[in-house]
Amino acid sequence: MCARCLEISRRSLLVGGGVAAAALTTGVAHARILPKDMVPLVGPGYRPTERDEIGLWHEMDRVEEEISGSNLLVQDAGLTAYLKDIIGTVGGPAAKDFRIYLARIPDFNAMMFPTGFAVVFSGLLLRMRNEAQLAGVIAHESGHFLRRHQIRSWRDMKRKTDIFSIAAMAAGVGGAAGGVYLGDYVQLAQLGTILSLFQYSREMEAEADALGARLIADTGYPPVEMANIWQQLIGEEDASARYRRKHRRKGSLFDTHPSPDARMADLRADVAEVTVPGRTYDNKRERYLSMIGPIRPMLLDDQVKLNDPGASQYLIETLAQDGWNGLLRFYEGEVWRLRNRHGDDVRAAQGYAAAVAYPDAPADAWRWHGISLMKAGRQAEAKAAFARYLTMRPDAPDAAWVRQMVG
Amino acid sequence: MRKWVALLALASCLSTSACVQTRQFADVQFTPPQGDYRLLVLRPDVTVGSLTTGGLVEPRADWTDQARTNIVAALRAQQAERGGKVQILNRRSELKGANEQEVADVERLFYAVGQSIVLHKYLGAYLPTKRGKGLEYTLGEDAVSLGRKTGYDYALFLHAEDQVASTGRIALGVIGLAGCFVGFCAPNIGGATQLDYAGLVDLKTGEVVWFNVVRAGSEVPGVAFGDLRTPEGAQQMVERLLGRMKPGIEARRAAEKS
Repeated sequence: MCARCLEISRRSLLVGGGVAAAALTTGVAHARILPKDMVPLVGPGYRPTERDEIGLWHEMDRVEEEISGSNLLVQDAGLTAYLKDIIGTVGGPAAKDFRIYLARIPDFNAMMFPTGFAVVFSGLLLRMRNEAQLAGVIAHESGHFLRRHQIRSWRDMKRKTDIFSIAAMAAGVGGAAGGVYLGDYVQLAQLGTILSLFQYSREMEAEADALGARLIADTGYPPVEMANIWQQLIGEEDASARYRRKHRRKGSLFDTHPSPDARMADLRADVAEVTVPGRTYDNKRERYLSMIGPIRPMLLDDQVKLNDPGASQYLIETLAQDGWNGLLRFYEGEVWRLRNRHGDDVRAAQGYAAAVAYPDAPADAWRWHGISLMKAGRQAEAKAAFARYLTMRPDAPDAAWVRQMVG
Repeated sequence: MRKWVALLALASCLSTSACVQTRQFADVQFTPPQGDYRLLVLRPDVTVGSLTTGGLVEPRADWTDQARTNIVAALRAQQAERGGKVQILNRRSELKGANEQEVADVERLFYAVGQSIVLHKYLGAYLPTKRGKGLEYTLGEDAVSLGRKTGYDYALFLHAEDQVASTGRIALGVIGLAGCFVGFCAPNIGGATQLDYAGLVDLKTGEVVWFNVVRAGSEVPGVAFGDLRTPEGAQQMVERLLGRMKPGIEARRAAEKS
């Protein structure tokens, strides 16, 4: 009977402990990090002085060498200078020390490395609607460096794994000496340790958000744009999930970042705190659009080729809030052509037909418009479209084939 | 009685928990370079870290620099004995005849091919098409062009990582060992570990002609195997990794016949 008692109490303890650990790590008990508390912890020209951080920097030198010479980087001096200029503005005390690289990866992401170099993914430039949003993400990344997050996370992880290992060993040896089995407690402690590492990581992200909002507000960008970024991302993820007949993934205890919903909510509150009444903020949309304009076709092309129609369509529609044009309509058609399900060819054809009505329609829009017309049996119109394609791109790789079609 | 069982268990743990493994593969026609050859050693990729109590690896800048210096010195001494002319690059920009980007490209290509070799030759994902063919991998035209531009016959790529058990880790191992006397025996929590690999590329054909992996590890913290921070340890590692280059199977048969 007693053995059974122990069994039950152990199980209930496990459940209770799990619930306690869960409560500790969810947003329930989490207090918002205030922008005013986020003081940069490093000044200009920071160099590490402690042994573990020196080791980390040393390792990162080689990483930076690899990244700065990677063929994934977008080789565009103007754009690189533009990003450098932004991080030089919103980078706080370390603004002049940062390096920033633009990688051609069609994802919503940017990252900061421990030594103060950042990598921005091209997918971010597709999604940001003005300079303030881009500056917000860059300021968030700068926040990681300014708050020394990498070394703090490392130390946190080191401390917690040390404690866990010692405790587990003590439980094993002590338990064996005392004749008690403590393995369940050790497993519980392991789960607790893991959850607490993830929680620490989410806390760092929240710090970077709060500091980021402060940094962009200080430099005259409207801080509300940082919250808008998350609203857009939630919309995109919802749309993407809907097309796949799934639900958008909500946050879990094993996430390194807070959920977009939590970040948006916290940022909305931060915005109210960092906005100075009466001050005018400028999101510098015009400057952003003129900088991004030349690479937008590439960004859209990379995005539609991910074959994530929900997300692509959402992004195109978001960009179209600033006005439809030939480029956006063309890629709208591409989304459906690439999905290629029943009826998608009709939707694609509509996209191409709409695209060519704009003066800025890309040559490929005319090409696909021609092919769609030909499929529909409208030969004469198709030939006209092909002719237009050939005038725009006489040396296209498929020019010979198209000429033959035109006859 | 329980004590004796524990001791027996401890003895068997200790005897199985420490080992140095090397395993090399060569192109079937490979003969180790001898005499008047020109060898280019790409930057040795060395990292030395400290194994924390909890089992993480903390990179150490001073140890890494020291180990790299030791390895380069040991490598120079070893190759001098064989009569080859050797250049060991410290930076990609140091190579005459080829620019930084070309060196980087070949380094990255070797890294990718090396991963493939490790996967298909060492980690068990053996390929039926490569069976009995020795080492059949190539870096292709990029390596040949590097050789043509710089005049080297071979390129050697070398990677070494070493983890030194911290005092805390050793102490934890000692407690685990002591636990054996009360019936909780955990001496093998993992201690110093070293992983080294090297690949030799024939710059005339672009082929990876020889590849070797050395793994040295002790599951008992506190037992060290060739500490790269010391000149002796680095010498030992270079010797283990490059000291006994075996010719390929066809080359060996030809040598036996003649």
